Amino acid sequence: MGPWGFVWLAYGIVWAAIVLYLVGLKSRMRKAHARLSQLKSKEGTDKHAT
Amino acid sequence: MTEIEQKRRPGKILGVLALLSVAAGLYFALIKAPPDAYQGEVQRIMYIHIPSILTAYLSFFIVFVGSCLYLWKRERRDDILAYAAAEIGVLFTALTIVEGSIWGKPTWGVWWTWDARLTLTALLLMIFVGYLMLRSLIEDPERAAVSGAVLGIIGFLDIPLIHMSVYWWRTLHQPPSILRPDKAPWDNVHPSMLIALAINFIAFLLLYFYLLSLRIRVGETEERIRTKTLEGAA
Repeated sequence: MGPWGFVWLAYGIVWAAIVLYLVGLKSRMRKAHARLSQLKSKEGTDKHAT
Repeated sequence: MTEIEQKRRPGKILGVLALLSVAAGLYFALIKAPPDAYQGEVQRIMYIHIPSILTAYLSFFIVFVGSCLYLWKRERRDDILAYAAAEIGVLFTALTIVEGSIWGKPTWGVWWTWDARLTLTALLLMIFVGYLMLRSLIEDPERAAVSGAVLGIIGFLDIPLIHMSVYWWRTLHQPPSILRPDKAPWDNVHPSMLIALAINFIAFLLLYFYLLSLRIRVGETEERIRTKTLEGAA
Protein backbone atom coordinates (compact mmCIF):
# COMPACT_ATOMS: atom_id res chain seq x y z
CA MET A 1 0.00 0.00 0.00
CA GLY A 2 1.33 3.48 -0.90
CA PRO A 3 1.39 6.45 1.50
CA TRP A 4 -1.96 7.79 0.24
CA GLY A 5 -3.46 4.32 0.75
CA PHE A 6 -2.69 4.56 4.49
CA VAL A 7 -4.11 8.10 4.59
CA TRP A 8 -7.40 7.10 2.88
CA LEU A 9 -7.67 4.00 5.09
CA ALA A 10 -7.33 6.07 8.28
CA TYR A 11 -9.72 8.82 7.16
CA GLY A 12 -12.20 6.25 5.79
CA ILE A 13 -12.35 4.24 9.02
CA VAL A 14 -12.64 7.35 11.20
CA TRP A 15 -15.47 9.02 9.27
CA ALA A 16 -17.33 5.74 8.67
CA ALA A 17 -17.23 4.97 12.42
CA ILE A 18 -18.41 8.49 13.35
CA VAL A 19 -21.26 8.40 10.79
CA LEU A 20 -22.31 4.90 11.98
CA TYR A 21 -22.32 6.06 15.61
CA LEU A 22 -24.38 9.13 14.66
CA VAL A 23 -26.92 6.99 12.75
CA GLY A 24 -27.12 4.58 15.70
CA LEU A 25 -27.65 7.48 18.12
CA LYS A 26 -30.47 8.93 15.98
CA SER A 27 -32.10 5.50 15.83
CA ARG A 28 -31.90 5.13 19.65
CA MET A 29 -33.42 8.61 19.97
CA ARG A 30 -36.35 7.72 17.66
CA LYS A 31 -37.01 4.47 19.54
CA ALA A 32 -36.88 6.22 22.94
CA HIS A 33 -39.28 8.96 21.76
CA ALA A 34 -41.68 6.36 20.34
CA ARG A 35 -41.61 4.42 23.64
CA LEU A 36 -42.20 7.62 25.64
CA SER A 37 -45.15 8.64 23.43
CA GLN A 38 -46.59 5.14 23.83
CA LEU A 39 -46.33 5.39 27.64
CA LYS A 40 -47.88 8.89 27.63
CA SER A 41 -50.83 7.80 25.49
CA LYS A 42 -51.32 4.70 27.70
CA GLU A 43 -51.25 6.96 30.78
CA GLY A 44 -53.86 9.24 29.15
CA THR A 45 -56.10 6.27 28.27
CA ASP A 46 -55.83 4.87 31.83
CA LYS A 47 -56.74 8.27 33.38
CA HIS A 48 -59.68 8.64 30.96
CA ALA A 49 -60.92 5.13 31.85
CA THR A 50 -60.91 5.88 35.60
CA MET B 1 -42.74 25.83 17.57
CA THR B 2 -43.20 22.84 19.91
CA GLU B 3 -41.10 22.28 23.07
CA ILE B 4 -39.17 19.40 21.44
CA GLU B 5 -38.43 21.51 18.34
CA GLN B 6 -37.16 24.37 20.56
CA LYS B 7 -34.83 21.93 22.36
CA ARG B 8 -33.56 20.52 19.05
CA ARG B 9 -32.78 23.91 17.46
CA PRO B 10 -29.38 24.61 19.21
CA GLY B 11 -28.39 21.00 18.47
CA LYS B 12 -29.19 21.45 14.78
CA ILE B 13 -27.14 24.68 14.60
CA LEU B 14 -24.23 22.85 16.29
CA GLY B 15 -24.63 19.98 13.81
CA VAL B 16 -24.47 22.33 10.80
CA LEU B 17 -21.40 24.11 12.25
CA ALA B 18 -19.74 20.73 12.89
CA LEU B 19 -20.44 19.60 9.31
CA LEU B 20 -19.00 22.82 7.82
CA SER B 21 -15.89 22.67 10.01
CA VAL B 22 -15.35 18.97 9.17
CA ALA B 23 -15.48 19.87 5.44
CA ALA B 24 -12.96 22.70 6.03
CA GLY B 25 -10.80 20.35 8.12
CA LEU B 26 -10.72 17.73 5.34
CA TYR B 27 -9.77 20.39 2.77
CA PHE B 28 -6.89 21.71 4.89
CA ALA B 29 -5.68 18.25 5.96
CA LEU B 30 -5.80 16.50 2.57
CA ILE B 31 -5.26 19.31 0.04
CA LYS B 32 -3.96 22.57 1.51
CA ALA B 33 -1.34 21.34 4.01
CA PRO B 34 2.04 20.35 2.53
CA PRO B 35 3.47 16.82 2.98
CA ASP B 36 5.94 16.43 5.84
CA ALA B 37 9.64 16.63 4.91
CA TYR B 38 10.46 13.31 6.65
CA GLN B 39 7.19 11.36 6.91
CA GLY B 40 5.70 12.40 3.57
CA GLU B 41 1.95 12.06 2.97
CA VAL B 42 1.23 9.68 5.90
CA GLN B 43 1.82 12.59 8.30
CA ARG B 44 -1.67 13.80 7.21
CA ILE B 45 -3.09 11.14 9.55
CA MET B 46 -1.87 13.37 12.41
CA TYR B 47 -4.58 15.94 11.54
CA ILE B 48 -7.18 13.46 12.83
CA HIS B 49 -5.01 11.50 15.28
CA ILE B 50 -4.15 14.46 17.57
CA PRO B 51 -7.72 15.96 17.61
CA SER B 52 -9.12 12.45 18.30
CA ILE B 53 -7.03 11.87 21.42
CA LEU B 54 -7.49 15.45 22.71
CA THR B 55 -11.27 15.04 22.27
CA ALA B 56 -11.11 11.70 24.12
CA TYR B 57 -9.17 13.38 26.98
CA LEU B 58 -11.82 16.12 27.15
CA SER B 59 -14.57 13.51 27.17
CA PHE B 60 -13.03 11.58 30.06
CA PHE B 61 -12.48 14.86 31.93
CA ILE B 62 -16.25 15.43 31.59
CA VAL B 63 -16.79 11.85 32.89
CA PHE B 64 -14.53 12.72 35.86
CA VAL B 65 -16.40 15.97 36.64
CA GLY B 66 -19.85 14.37 36.15
CA SER B 67 -18.87 11.39 38.33
CA CYS B 68 -17.53 13.59 41.16
CA LEU B 69 -20.69 15.74 41.04
CA TYR B 70 -22.91 12.64 41.07
CA LEU B 71 -21.17 11.13 44.09
CA TRP B 72 -21.44 14.50 45.86
CA LYS B 73 -25.00 15.61 45.00
CA ARG B 74 -26.66 12.41 43.69
CA GLU B 75 -28.38 14.23 40.85
CA ARG B 76 -29.38 12.08 37.87
CA ARG B 77 -28.38 14.71 35.28
CA ASP B 78 -24.69 14.46 36.36
CA ASP B 79 -24.79 10.69 35.89
CA ILE B 80 -26.47 11.06 32.47
CA LEU B 81 -23.69 13.50 31.46
CA ALA B 82 -20.91 11.17 32.68
CA TYR B 83 -22.43 8.12 30.95
CA ALA B 84 -22.88 10.01 27.68
CA ALA B 85 -19.31 11.38 27.76
CA ALA B 86 -17.87 7.92 28.56
CA GLU B 87 -19.55 6.35 25.52
CA ILE B 88 -18.25 9.02 23.13
CA GLY B 89 -14.84 8.97 24.83
CA VAL B 90 -14.58 5.24 24.06
CA LEU B 91 -15.36 5.94 20.40
CA PHE B 92 -12.64 8.61 20.09
CA THR B 93 -10.05 6.54 22.01
CA ALA B 94 -10.67 3.52 19.78
CA LEU B 95 -10.34 5.74 16.70
CA THR B 96 -7.08 7.21 18.06
CA ILE B 97 -5.60 3.71 18.42
CA VAL B 98 -6.73 2.70 14.90
CA GLU B 99 -5.33 5.92 13.33
CA GLY B 100 -2.07 5.55 15.26
CA SER B 101 -1.75 1.95 14.13
CA ILE B 102 -2.31 2.87 10.46
CA TRP B 103 0.28 5.67 10.79
CA GLY B 104 2.69 3.38 12.66
CA LYS B 105 2.92 0.73 9.92
CA PRO B 106 4.60 2.92 7.24
CA THR B 107 6.49 5.06 9.81
CA TRP B 108 7.71 2.57 12.45
CA GLY B 109 7.30 -0.59 10.37
CA VAL B 110 4.79 -2.18 12.78
CA TRP B 111 1.03 -1.91 13.35
CA TRP B 112 1.47 -2.16 17.12
CA THR B 113 4.24 -2.16 19.73
CA TRP B 114 4.05 -2.45 23.52
CA ASP B 115 5.34 1.09 23.98
CA ALA B 116 4.40 2.82 27.28
CA ARG B 117 2.13 5.44 25.69
CA LEU B 118 0.37 2.96 23.40
CA THR B 119 -0.11 0.44 26.21
CA LEU B 120 -1.49 3.08 28.60
CA THR B 121 -3.88 4.32 25.88
CA ALA B 122 -5.06 0.73 25.31
CA LEU B 123 -5.53 0.46 29.09
CA LEU B 124 -7.63 3.66 29.05
CA LEU B 125 -9.83 2.12 26.35
CA MET B 126 -10.17 -1.14 28.32
CA ILE B 127 -11.12 0.74 31.52
CA PHE B 128 -13.90 2.67 29.78
CA VAL B 129 -15.14 -0.34 27.78
CA GLY B 130 -15.35 -1.97 31.25
CA TYR B 131 -17.25 1.12 32.47
CA LEU B 132 -19.86 0.70 29.69
CA MET B 133 -20.15 -3.05 30.36
CA LEU B 134 -20.55 -2.44 34.10
CA ARG B 135 -23.30 0.11 33.43
CA SER B 136 -25.20 -2.27 31.18
CA LEU B 137 -24.85 -5.27 33.52
CA ILE B 138 -26.14 -3.67 36.75
CA GLU B 139 -29.93 -3.43 36.64
CA ASP B 140 -30.44 -1.04 39.56
CA PRO B 141 -29.78 2.45 38.05
CA GLU B 142 -28.58 3.96 41.35
CA ARG B 143 -26.03 1.18 41.93
CA ALA B 144 -24.94 1.35 38.28
CA ALA B 145 -24.45 5.12 38.59
CA VAL B 146 -22.37 4.86 41.80
CA SER B 147 -20.19 2.00 40.46
CA GLY B 148 -19.76 3.85 37.16
CA ALA B 149 -18.82 7.08 38.94
CA VAL B 150 -16.08 5.34 40.97
CA LEU B 151 -14.68 3.61 37.88
CA GLY B 152 -14.96 6.85 35.85
CA ILE B 153 -12.84 8.73 38.41
CA ILE B 154 -10.20 5.94 38.59
CA GLY B 155 -10.12 5.67 34.76
CA PHE B 156 -9.48 9.39 34.33
CA LEU B 157 -6.30 9.09 36.43
CA ASP B 158 -4.71 7.16 33.54
CA ILE B 159 -4.67 10.31 31.36
CA PRO B 160 -1.84 12.19 33.19
CA LEU B 161 0.16 8.92 33.01
CA ILE B 162 -0.41 8.72 29.22
CA HIS B 163 0.68 12.34 28.76
CA MET B 164 3.81 12.01 30.91
CA SER B 165 4.76 8.49 29.71
CA VAL B 166 6.97 9.86 26.90
CA TYR B 167 9.03 11.78 29.48
CA TRP B 168 9.16 9.10 32.17
CA TRP B 169 10.02 6.07 30.01
CA ARG B 170 12.14 5.44 26.89
CA THR B 171 9.35 5.17 24.35
CA LEU B 172 9.11 4.72 20.59
CA HIS B 173 6.28 7.27 20.59
CA GLN B 174 7.73 10.75 20.11
CA PRO B 175 7.26 13.50 22.76
CA PRO B 176 4.36 15.94 22.22
CA SER B 177 4.73 18.44 19.35
CA ILE B 178 1.95 20.77 20.55
CA LEU B 179 1.50 20.44 24.33
CA ARG B 180 5.14 20.70 25.39
CA PRO B 181 6.44 22.89 28.22
CA ASP B 182 9.67 24.10 26.57
CA LYS B 183 8.38 25.34 23.18
CA ALA B 184 5.35 27.17 21.79
CA PRO B 185 3.47 25.15 19.11
CA TRP B 186 4.39 27.64 16.35
CA ASP B 187 8.12 27.23 17.19
CA ASN B 188 7.86 23.50 16.61
CA VAL B 189 5.31 23.06 13.79
CA HIS B 190 5.14 24.97 10.46
CA PRO B 191 2.20 27.48 10.45
CA SER B 192 0.55 25.80 7.40
CA MET B 193 0.45 22.51 9.33
CA LEU B 194 -0.56 24.19 12.57
CA ILE B 195 -3.55 25.87 10.84
CA ALA B 196 -4.70 22.50 9.40
CA LEU B 197 -4.36 20.94 12.85
CA ALA B 198 -6.23 23.81 14.56
CA ILE B 199 -9.14 23.66 12.07
CA ASN B 200 -9.43 19.90 12.51
CA PHE B 201 -9.31 20.26 16.28
CA ILE B 202 -12.17 22.82 16.15
CA ALA B 203 -14.10 20.44 13.84
CA PHE B 204 -13.64 17.53 16.27
CA LEU B 205 -14.70 19.71 19.22
CA LEU B 206 -17.89 20.88 17.46
CA LEU B 207 -18.64 17.32 16.37
CA TYR B 208 -17.99 16.07 19.89
CA PHE B 209 -20.38 18.56 21.49
CA TYR B 210 -23.01 17.76 18.85
CA LEU B 211 -22.73 14.01 19.58
CA LEU B 212 -22.70 14.70 23.33
CA SER B 213 -25.88 16.82 23.11
CA LEU B 214 -27.63 14.03 21.17
CA ARG B 215 -26.43 11.32 23.57
CA ILE B 216 -27.54 13.37 26.60
CA ARG B 217 -31.01 13.74 25.04
CA VAL B 218 -31.17 9.94 24.58
CA GLY B 219 -30.18 9.52 28.26
CA GLU B 220 -32.78 12.07 29.43
CA THR B 221 -35.53 10.40 27.37
CA GLU B 222 -34.58 6.96 28.75
CA GLU B 223 -34.71 8.46 32.27
CA ARG B 224 -38.23 9.81 31.60
CA ILE B 225 -39.28 6.36 30.31
CA ARG B 226 -37.93 4.77 33.50
CA THR B 227 -39.79 7.29 35.70
CA LYS B 228 -43.05 6.80 33.76
CA THR B 229 -42.70 3.00 33.91
CA LEU B 230 -42.16 3.17 37.70
CA GLU B 231 -45.14 5.54 38.09
CA GLY B 232 -47.28 3.15 36.02
CA ALA B 233 -46.22 0.16 38.13
CA ALA B 234 -46.89 1.98 41.46
